[in-house]
Amino acid sequence: MIYTIPIAPGITLRCFPDDRFKQACMSIQLLRPVCRQEAGLNALLPSVLLRGCESAPDIRAIARRSDDLYGASIGGCVRRVGDWQTTGLSCGFVEDRFCLSGDQIMKPMTAMLRDLLLRPVLENGVFRQDFVETERKSLILTIESEINDKRSYAQSQLMRKMCSADSYAIPRLGEKEAVERITAEDLYAHYRRILKESPIEVNYVGSMKPAAVAELVTEMFRDVERDYVNLPDQTPFRDGGGGEYTEQMDVTQGKLAMGFVSPIWDGDDRVMALRLLNIIFGAGMTSKLFMNVREKRALCYDIGSGYNSAKGLLTVNAGIDCDKVTETRQEVMNQLAACQNGHITAEELDAAKQYLCSSLRAVYDSTGAIEYFYSMENLSVHPMTPEGLMAAVEQTTLDDVVAAARTLRLHTVYFLEGVNR
Amino acid sequence: MKEFFYPTLDERQYKTVLPNGLRVLVQPRKGFSRKIAYFVTDFGALHTNFTLDGQQMRAPDGVAHYLEHKLFDMPEGDVTEAFSAMGAMPNAFTSPGMTAYFFTCTDHFDQCLELLLQFVSTPYFTEESVAKEQGIIAQEIGMNLDNPYYMCYVNLMEMMYRNHPVTVPVLGSEESIARITPQILRDCHRAFYHPSNMLLCVVGDVDPESVAAMAERILGNGPAPTVERQRHWDEEMTCKESYREISMQVASKGFQMGFKCEIVPEGEEGFRAEVVADLALETLIGESSSLYLKLYEAGIIDSSFGASFDTLEDLAMVAMGGDAEQPEIIRDAVIEEAQRIAREGITPEDLQRLKRSSMGRRLRRLDSFDGTCNNLAVYELLHYDYLEFPKVYEKITEDEIREFLSRVFTHERCAVSVVLPLE
Repeated sequence: MIYTIPIAPGITLRCFPDDRFKQACMSIQLLRPVCRQEAGLNALLPSVLLRGCESAPDIRAIARRSDDLYGASIGGCVRRVGDWQTTGLSCGFVEDRFCLSGDQIMKPMTAMLRDLLLRPVLENGVFRQDFVETERKSLILTIESEINDKRSYAQSQLMRKMCSADSYAIPRLGEKEAVERITAEDLYAHYRRILKESPIEVNYVGSMKPAAVAELVTEMFRDVERDYVNLPDQTPFRDGGGGEYTEQMDVTQGKLAMGFVSPIWDGDDRVMALRLLNIIFGAGMTSKLFMNVREKRALCYDIGSGYNSAKGLLTVNAGIDCDKVTETRQEVMNQLAACQNGHITAEELDAAKQYLCSSLRAVYDSTGAIEYFYSMENLSVHPMTPEGLMAAVEQTTLDDVVAAARTLRLHTVYFLEGVNR
Repeated sequence: MKEFFYPTLDERQYKTVLPNGLRVLVQPRKGFSRKIAYFVTDFGALHTNFTLDGQQMRAPDGVAHYLEHKLFDMPEGDVTEAFSAMGAMPNAFTSPGMTAYFFTCTDHFDQCLELLLQFVSTPYFTEESVAKEQGIIAQEIGMNLDNPYYMCYVNLMEMMYRNHPVTVPVLGSEESIARITPQILRDCHRAFYHPSNMLLCVVGDVDPESVAAMAERILGNGPAPTVERQRHWDEEMTCKESYREISMQVASKGFQMGFKCEIVPEGEEGFRAEVVADLALETLIGESSSLYLKLYEAGIIDSSFGASFDTLEDLAMVAMGGDAEQPEIIRDAVIEEAQRIAREGITPEDLQRLKRSSMGRRLRRLDSFDGTCNNLAVYELLHYDYLEFPKVYEKITEDEIREFLSRVFTHERCAVSVVLPLE
């Protein structure tokens, strides 16, 4: 059961009381619209905040405080759902009942979060230059390092090409060129502005009673000046046209990424049918793609699909021998056609339903999963509970799934081709 | 089954050894939906040299992993589909020292467990299916060749070890796997998949007695084969090479660095050695250390930096790595600081703080089903009851940590493996 408690204008606490776990978790997220000007700033902010606050002015002092709190973990939290991005902090910490007698963690933990979020170390009225500089360098390196993992690189390249007119072309961590230009002054001005204007969501999963958590969180934000602005609504996919792209690189294995579009996105009654189709087609362990492209024809080691309901995009990724690209593409299209022509058995649908329901039931088995599920759902157009989603699963028929498959259209193909070896 | 209670962790565990030799461990989690079961054999990529009932065997490299892939085949088809029909997810992994088969589910636990026990104990291989797997595993090998972290690690092992087979890839090579036949797979299965060489570990809201009863019923009571294998490789505490570079399609320079350590024994003594090493690393280069702060603020390391104490069968090492332009500076600073702390000591307050922090992290990790099941299995193979960990922390002294720092962090024991971006 989730308790939603307003703390201040635009600041909402969501409490999920649960005493089965050894650790509790808390996240504080500032909600932002995804845009080119901001994405890098929002990605950089948590790492600069984690460099030091008035009461713990460097990473060593912060780490010592976490050590004292029985090895609490504190990290940045940069997520995205559709046209929205979040920036903030999250932490996990031992429940009081496992501490030495009398020790309490929740209160010092929220105090530490407050200090990190709201009382950063300043120099000439802005963030310390050296903090911003090293963290900016580190973020740029993280962005560039995407290329180290060829599969996720291929997926990002597909998104850039496919979403040329949509906010989804903007990577979660921003573009390198924009990050390179960020100064301590820019980042601090942005920080002050978003603290004032952004909707803020605080999520807590743990054994403490909601009223007691609300008291701590109210205290945390007591002195924050607010002038809250609503976020623009989430929008469906904006199509700027697709195409076919090949990039060459010195690698052994090629990476094929195919993007499909569907008019079905969050809020549409048919979303669940497309989620199930995705499992049957490519996401499940016994999906059509896995069983045919890998198992039957041994065209690849890994292949899978993913469905992004915030935009109605379905993508397929495969690692293949470079001379098998045409064959693999054809087989992917054959398997989609099979779905569209109704070649889905009752067993396949049932397995997909069981798989999805099983993962929804398991949400309640970890504090992190509860926090993640509810905070992400709350950002979607039509927030649902695991129970609500399971009911929707039960109601979905084979005809619904086939009809959903028929809405898919191949939009963009990206191929990372290996050369020189 | 015998019940054990761990009051400081508020955990219970049930254990038994079946007449067929199988060790069974169950950690019940009342009120949770997820269930996870690990069926593990004490047979990994290292064990290619063995005798089976007196006959000498030398299996091709990569055989344990190949066998792991092929065991999913049953006369009626790939067993994944049967799990999938119950909403369960089966999977498996092969490491140098062991092979683990597992599933997670929320419903139909009994049927899933039965299926797990059945497919792992049924060696069903055809010429055709074994041949077909070569294409799939060759792709997997190719994927590793493009993985800079993996290639950097392979180089590091080659520099550090003269005789230990950790230098041989778990997957083998395209050439070695081409020599694998159904008969080789059957021999390996017969040698290492007898219940007496295996372990069943379950975490979830299940009845421990029925888990043990099912394992006994499915696995039977057949005689164990006589198997001898090489489990020790002589190694000096120095590295073959101290520095190596490769160039790959990466964004920036990265490194992995290893310090050779003495192997740790089985049982509590071994776990204690691991905790001593963990605490030593926290003191030396953990986020609350002065060296970490110094290197971080100078821009020599960034948040990608990490350090850990790793053990495998007959091998132990300290591993560090991350993105860095000047790995040699990190190496020198680490060695110098370790020797300084070894000389000057650690304050009792600092030691207490690090122990509390390290124990707190272990405690929090118990919330993870996967992590817990994996830990229980790994340590049970080493004859240590993982849930006893709080007791070990109490006993560790400052002297042990200083001794570790002084012994391990020297130039002779160190190798640095670097990946550079292509020109």
